[in-house]
Amino acid sequence: MSGIRQLFSGRWSFPGVRIPVGERAGLSSTAGFLALVVALFACAPLAAQAGSTVPNAVPPEGTYSGKDVPQPIEFPHDIHAKINGINCMYCHTYARRSKVAGIPPTSKCMGCHSVIATDKPRIKQLTEYWEKREPPHWLKVHDLPDFVHFTHEKHIKRFVFDNPELPVEQVSEVCAFCHGDIKDMTVAKKQKPLTMGFCRSCHEANNGPFDCWKCHK
Amino acid sequence: MSLDKMKRREFLKVLGWGGVGTTLAGCDMPTTVTVQEGEEEVVAYLAPEEYVIPGIGVWYATTCAQCGSGCGVHGRVREGRVLKLEGNPDSQVNRGKLCQAGQASLQAHYNPDRITAPRVRRNGQLETIGWDQALALLEEKVGPSSGLAGERFAWVTDTVSGHQAVLLKAWMEAVGSRHHYVHEAVNDAVWRAVCRDMLGDENPRLRIDKARVILSFGADFLSTWGSTVQNSARYAEFRTAPRGVLVQAEPKMTVTGANADLWVPVRPGAEGVLALAIANRLAAEHGRDLSKLPADVQQQVRAYDIDKAARITGVSAEHIARIAALLNERAPSLVLAGTPAEGHARGYDNVAAAMLLNIVLGNVGKTLESGAGFPFPQLAAKTGGNRELLDFAAALESKSFDVVFFKGANPVYTAPEALKLKEKLAGVPFKVAFTQFEDETAQQADLVLPLRSMLEDWGTHVPTAQPEQMLISLQQPLMEPLYPETRGFGDALLALLKLRKAPQYAAYDDYYAYLRNAFAALPATLKQGAISDQQFWTRAVQKGVIEVGAGSGSLTARVAAFTVAEPADQGRPYTLVPSAGANLHDGRYANLPWLQELPDPISKVVWDSWAEMHPITAAKIGAKTGDRVRIESDHGAIEAKVYIYKGMHPDAIAVPLGQGHEAYGRYAQGRGVNPLKILGLATETKTGELAHHATRVQVTRIADKVGDKLVKLGGSEAQLGRKLVATVTADVYARTEGEA
Repeated sequence: MSGIRQLFSGRWSFPGVRIPVGERAGLSSTAGFLALVVALFACAPLAAQAGSTVPNAVPPEGTYSGKDVPQPIEFPHDIHAKINGINCMYCHTYARRSKVAGIPPTSKCMGCHSVIATDKPRIKQLTEYWEKREPPHWLKVHDLPDFVHFTHEKHIKRFVFDNPELPVEQVSEVCAFCHGDIKDMTVAKKQKPLTMGFCRSCHEANNGPFDCWKCHK
Repeated sequence: MSLDKMKRREFLKVLGWGGVGTTLAGCDMPTTVTVQEGEEEVVAYLAPEEYVIPGIGVWYATTCAQCGSGCGVHGRVREGRVLKLEGNPDSQVNRGKLCQAGQASLQAHYNPDRITAPRVRRNGQLETIGWDQALALLEEKVGPSSGLAGERFAWVTDTVSGHQAVLLKAWMEAVGSRHHYVHEAVNDAVWRAVCRDMLGDENPRLRIDKARVILSFGADFLSTWGSTVQNSARYAEFRTAPRGVLVQAEPKMTVTGANADLWVPVRPGAEGVLALAIANRLAAEHGRDLSKLPADVQQQVRAYDIDKAARITGVSAEHIARIAALLNERAPSLVLAGTPAEGHARGYDNVAAAMLLNIVLGNVGKTLESGAGFPFPQLAAKTGGNRELLDFAAALESKSFDVVFFKGANPVYTAPEALKLKEKLAGVPFKVAFTQFEDETAQQADLVLPLRSMLEDWGTHVPTAQPEQMLISLQQPLMEPLYPETRGFGDALLALLKLRKAPQYAAYDDYYAYLRNAFAALPATLKQGAISDQQFWTRAVQKGVIEVGAGSGSLTARVAAFTVAEPADQGRPYTLVPSAGANLHDGRYANLPWLQELPDPISKVVWDSWAEMHPITAAKIGAKTGDRVRIESDHGAIEAKVYIYKGMHPDAIAVPLGQGHEAYGRYAQGRGVNPLKILGLATETKTGELAHHATRVQVTRIADKVGDKLVKLGGSEAQLGRKLVATVTADVYARTEGEA
């Protein structure tokens, strides 16, 4: 791990450059140089984004403009995470324990909202669900195909718990790698492509595991 | 554009575009959309248990109900769904192992052909109704108001045990009927009868692990005969150093036969003669004392010296001598006799001759132990065979029943055509089928009641073959029922009982309540270490088994009267071997695609039937692998594709059991043939069991293989120089590896 920290402690890592082109058998040094130039050039506009507020990490690159997903209750992520500064993992408590982050159980919502903001229309809606003993049917915003094995647990471990320079209070910066600026949204919207290239760029830049079967198993 | 038509220029063009795409992807231009947002629902728990974490499975203990062996199971449950089963290491029946049928029970649970609501026959068609209507109908037809005498009711089931058996018996007593037919098409009924007569215990424990040599007359104990997972664990011990020797004599090579050190093809029905010849050799060559045997048995043994037996059985005198020498020098030994030996008119005598060897060799009490002493006889497994099917058909013939219940058994499928069971059933006014699937029997029923799967139901099971530490195995639901309009078998029995004995059973809202009460009533000696009934129950549910102590009892060795008959090959030229396999068993697993897809261990055929024959037989018929043949008995004909294999006696034609379903869902229906259909109705003389290995058939080739291939894994039986099984000659071994 210390090797990774040395490599990526600064903000000047260029993921596009990390491909050791010169090592590829059969490539002449000229071709290697050309490829390097092309890669640098093509990635130049994104280079500014590569910097991150998370130490010892290079965030994945790419954006995606997701559609609005109407949820049964318009849950305001901004009020919870930004205004009140609640840690993401307070509600998405499974993220550090399991492959899925988990939608918080209704009982968790009611833990606070049996006393807080009980007069607000969304909370009244929530209370109705609770009293009917029926959890809301949320719609999935972030999903991966079934042939992709992704685990939140390992990613949170690598970027938060094994990263002493990142206070756990700032975990939302790590979540934002793949989920975008959820803090500024009400209901979540997909902001990152979550494609294989997207995953790969991050694994490359952060020296993550690179075997096919790590994800396709 | 196919590759061979692609020109060089076009090829470069495609390559060029690919290169551009790669560059772009490297800089993360989103080129594809992954999974659509807002399409799928994700529902959180309302208030989960503390230990529940989405994405992480929790393992729960339960019991496999696929057959009567009663193996303990651990099931992985994630997000409220059971996803994977493994054996429960706490169960001494299977010691953490599970067979393919147990694994595939997931597919019985998630099967798309499950019946989801009760159905009743109206104007010849099955129509969906609600449970309240079904119960009202039951009350009218089988309740006290039906006015029927108890003897007019009958049940046909597969092996039942535990508290389900107790409730069923209670219902039988409540109405006053004795007609409970336990029908198992693949069974060891004749073996049990011989054990009862000669050992004084119809279900002795087979200590395969203690034997140093096993001689098995067609007992496929690793795959289809008895408690196979338990046998396999013992077999593994048998094979560890000092390595035991396995000899298998049978007309068609089984999985156990394929594992044998010496496999001998024996003429169908001649197993008894072979056993007598071995006894003869043991006395003549190895000085074993037979003088204490009954005079007529001694006489029979004397009648078959190895040369005479060789002529009758087709097993060479040299082989018989070798088997006798092995049995003589390696003690203790174990002699078993299975289905091919049992299924003849004199099957009992074949098995008795095999048991004689156990007595002569002194195995009784050593490798055959008493299985008696289970403290709760009312819970013990109630099993059966084909005699029950014949008895049931005879009773139908005389119009003995007004109401028949079916559960687990599918007699319309397993009965030979000659029995005309379907026609006879038509004479029963009201037939009720408790089932998960619309099988052939359910199709004949007037009321079809959908059962929960074994992974949704409560129950207790007592293994047909108890391990040394006897046990009761607990079955608990691993998930909510997939279909709310299904009921557990125990709950259905309770509902039936409440029609008759309301005051006695009114206290139990459901079968769970009944089981809790029954567990509370278990003797205090079983509950040692538990501070309360609640704790005892919780522990039992966690562990999945309750151990009830070692059995007690000893076996007697008494030679019962028997007379071995030589096979008389009359009529048609070949003997039909309806062979059971571990995949489809008697056909009950044919609707599970995993088991259809799993190649037969011998022929490697998938999703189909085949006719297995020796190359000599095939040459006589003029058939090659994949040709269609017609197999005709006195009672009908079936057609199947030929599979040629040397592990056959040339007089026998084997057709596997399990296919040829006319109903039973999309995976089973209309696939292959059912050899049980063309069996004759000859019975075993002493036990009345069906002589299922005694049907003579004529085989004729009807077509070449055209487009219609025998689908099997592995294109060739030859190694083609690939050294799949490395061999070395004896002298090279002696030179390089042997002792100096």
